[in-house]
Parts: sequence; C-alpha cells; structure tokens
Amino acid sequence: MTHRIGQTFSTLALGLVLATTALSGPLAGAARAAGASDTDQERAARWQEIAKSIFGDRQIAPTDSLVKIEAPARALDAALVPITLTMPNDGQIKAVSLIIDDNPAPYAAKFEFGPAADPAELKLRVRVNNYTDMHAVVETTDGKLYEAKQFVKASGGCSAPMGMSDEEAMKGMGDMRMKFAETAAGKPVEATLMIRHPNFSGMQMNQVTRDYTPARYIDKVTVSAGDRKVFTMTGDISIASNPVINFALKPDGKPIQVAASDNQGGQWQHSFTAPSPTN
Amino acid sequence: MRRLLLTGRAAAACAALLCLAAAPADSPVNVPEPEGLYAGPPKGYTPPTLKGAAVVDADAVAALMAGPDKPVLLDVAAPDRKPSNFPEGRLWLPVHPSIPGAVWMPEAGAEPLAPAREALFYARVAALTGSDTAKPIVVFCHVECWGSWNAAKRLVRKGYTGVRWFPQGVEGWQEKHETANLKVDPDWKAGAEPQAGR
Repeated sequence: MTHRIGQTFSTLALGLVLATTALSGPLAGAARAAGASDTDQERAARWQEIAKSIFGDRQIAPTDSLVKIEAPARALDAALVPITLTMPNDGQIKAVSLIIDDNPAPYAAKFEFGPAADPAELKLRVRVNNYTDMHAVVETTDGKLYEAKQFVKASGGCSAPMGMSDEEAMKGMGDMRMKFAETAAGKPVEATLMIRHPNFSGMQMNQVTRDYTPARYIDKVTVSAGDRKVFTMTGDISIASNPVINFALKPDGKPIQVAASDNQGGQWQHSFTAPSPTN
Repeated sequence: MRRLLLTGRAAAACAALLCLAAAPADSPVNVPEPEGLYAGPPKGYTPPTLKGAAVVDADAVAALMAGPDKPVLLDVAAPDRKPSNFPEGRLWLPVHPSIPGAVWMPEAGAEPLAPAREALFYARVAALTGSDTAKPIVVFCHVECWGSWNAAKRLVRKGYTGVRWFPQGVEGWQEKHETANLKVDPDWKAGAEPQAGR
C-alpha cells in the first residue's frame, strides 16, 4: 500500500488531501444519536434561510413520493458523491432543484424538464463540503413545490484538488460521450451523458504555488431529442469534476443534441445518435 | 488523465485506511517534526508528535471538556474561500462546523504570520486562559492541516504547559460528536480588518 502511495508526488498529494475527506471509522454510527439537538435546529434554520433565498415565500410541502433522494450515508470521496433523484410521477414534474445545505454555495443544480424527458430517475455526482442535509425540491406542473431530505456525511469536497496540474485537468475540455442502455421498444431510454470538464470550484488550492484555481464550472447543459427538450440543467461549483448525468428520455429517432457552456464563456455542442424508437 | 485520476483515488482509499490504523497520528508516512514552525503547504501529512505538547484524539478532547478544568478550545482552520469570480447574486453561505464552544481564529497557524497578528494571537490566548500558562488548551483545525501544529507550537514556545494538539481536527470530532457552526472570534476579526484581503 505505502509504495503505491509514494509513486508520484501528485498521487501522494491527491491521496493525502482525499484521505482528509475520506476519513471514516467504525464508530460513525454513534453520531447523531442524541435526537433533536441544537445541531438539528441549526440545520432546520439554515434550510429555512436557503429555501427563502431560492424560492422566496412560496410554500414547500414535504413529500415522500414525488421525489426521493438517495445518497451514500457516508461518502467514500467527498469530491465525488453519487446522488440519485427518483421522481416516479412522469408528466407531473416540471423541475427539480438539488440543494446541499452546508456547502458554501448550496444551490448545486436545477433541472427543468421538457416534453422528451422521463424524470423517473436522475443521477449526478456532487461535491460535499460538510456533513449536511441535502434537499431535493420538485416543482409540479401545477406550480406547487415539494421537498425531500437526506443527510450525508462527507467533508472537504469543494476544496479537494484534482491531483494534477490545471492544464492537465483541462485537457479535452468539452469532450462528451453518451451511452444508452438497452430498452424495450416504446419505453423511455436510459442515457448517460459524460462531459470532460474540471468544474474547478474556485476553492481548490494549488499546493505548490498556493494559488487558487479560478472557478470554472459548467453552468448550463441543455439536452434535446430532435426539437423537443429533455432537460436544461443549471449547474454550480458543487457539481463534481467531469460531470456525469444519468437520465431517461423519449427519443423519436432524431439525434440527441447536447449544448453545454461554462461560466468562463466555454461553449460546446455535440450530437448523438439516439436508439430507434421502434423495433 | 483518467489513469492518473484512478491511481490517485486508489491511493486515497489506501491512505484513508492507513489513516485509521495509525490513529491518532494520522500520517501513513513518517513525518519528522520540523526544527521551528512549518512553512510548507498548509495541507499535508503532519508529524505524529509535537515536543512540549500532548497529542490527543477526540475521546481525550471530550473527556477534557467533561472534566473539572475546562480546556480552551482553539480552532485555527482557514475559512472557506469565496472564488474571486463567483457570480454576483448567486447564493454563497459558508458555514464553519467545529467543536461547540471553540474559539475560531482562522489561520493563526500560518507561517509566516504578521507580527501584529502573532501578538494578537498571544493576547487572545492570554485572555482566554486568564494568563494561566498551565491551563489546558486544545488546538485543532482539520485533519492533515499544519495550521494547528504551528499554532500549538507557538503556544509551547510561549511557555504554555497544558497544550494539547488534536491532529484529527473537526473531521475527527464530528465522527462521534455534535458540531456547532462558529463565527470568527470578534477580536481576531477586528484585528484583521486593517489588512488587505481578509
């Protein structure tokens, strides 16, 4: 083990920083055993503040059916935490927002769905900076808001360096791939979009120069099936590097178009051949 | 790039495991104590020891806090840095979870540290300990952060005899204990204001 760690300086540097975030222990289960503590109240108050800032005075009702969040209770890598949002009521969901309450920039992502979407299951990978509640807020087609919550243990994800130079991290920036799962005719198709992009958070320090790499992150991704929108994602520094988004769409035989942009003016477009809707 | 990334992650997983096995000295490699204060990159493996100070884990800190002679808890972690090009109007709400009751003096373990800041650090610690140089003082930041090592070293050199260095920091604490979100110590903050960039 140790000789592998010592292979290269960059590997070592990444290892030691990620070790910080991945620190875990057999005693983890003992945490939060105290019931409604000061910490819980602090979290609830913070969520109120965030919700008001994003949604204003709109009512948000709790739900355990319209949206569910799945996340590892304890993330192995705080810079790469897999999240699954489940929204079984196709046709009723207009948009979903993911908020990571205790991240410095809490509003991680918003997905607005179009007619070619099936929002049943959406997956993405995020950075988590502190032990935190996560909230998913869906807006239904009748304009109402519903929230679901999940607690996640991870810390340091926003400042964890990528373990390589900025130049290396930006190589091939904007390259995309899309994979489609096998599916029965007439059913929605599960797709995985991968975008090469460092998604620099602006909180990552170069350990040698001690400069901070400026924030450079994907701020918008639009996926369309022919002329019909699947979704538009508005992103933020909490999305993990090299974004991967799993989603479902209803193709009509026309190409799947993806347009992505970042906060520094980068723009990329790719077209993918959709699986045939018949046979 | 992909291969490098994967290698890095594998190494991170190994490091995390070793980190546990070696607790409370959290380094999988043997880092000797520097002669004086450490002036290298603030994040990195730290030594298992600090001459003149005790090295403590979360249980020991909790025991101290529950005991009769309450320790002064000093958090010297750096605050989350707002990206210089973060968009106007976008939500930015950093929090600093820490040990409840701790006093947060960000980057008091920086080296070099401006003489006025160093003097203020000593003044604040003198005030917090009631000038009792034997008072238990727990110094921490994050795991694998040299800031707490340096700050504890400064106090040892200043003649404090009850210094405890808690190398696992807030990451070690939150494993088993509740945290509280801290604000920067008002005096430390006020002392920083004439300087640029804070």
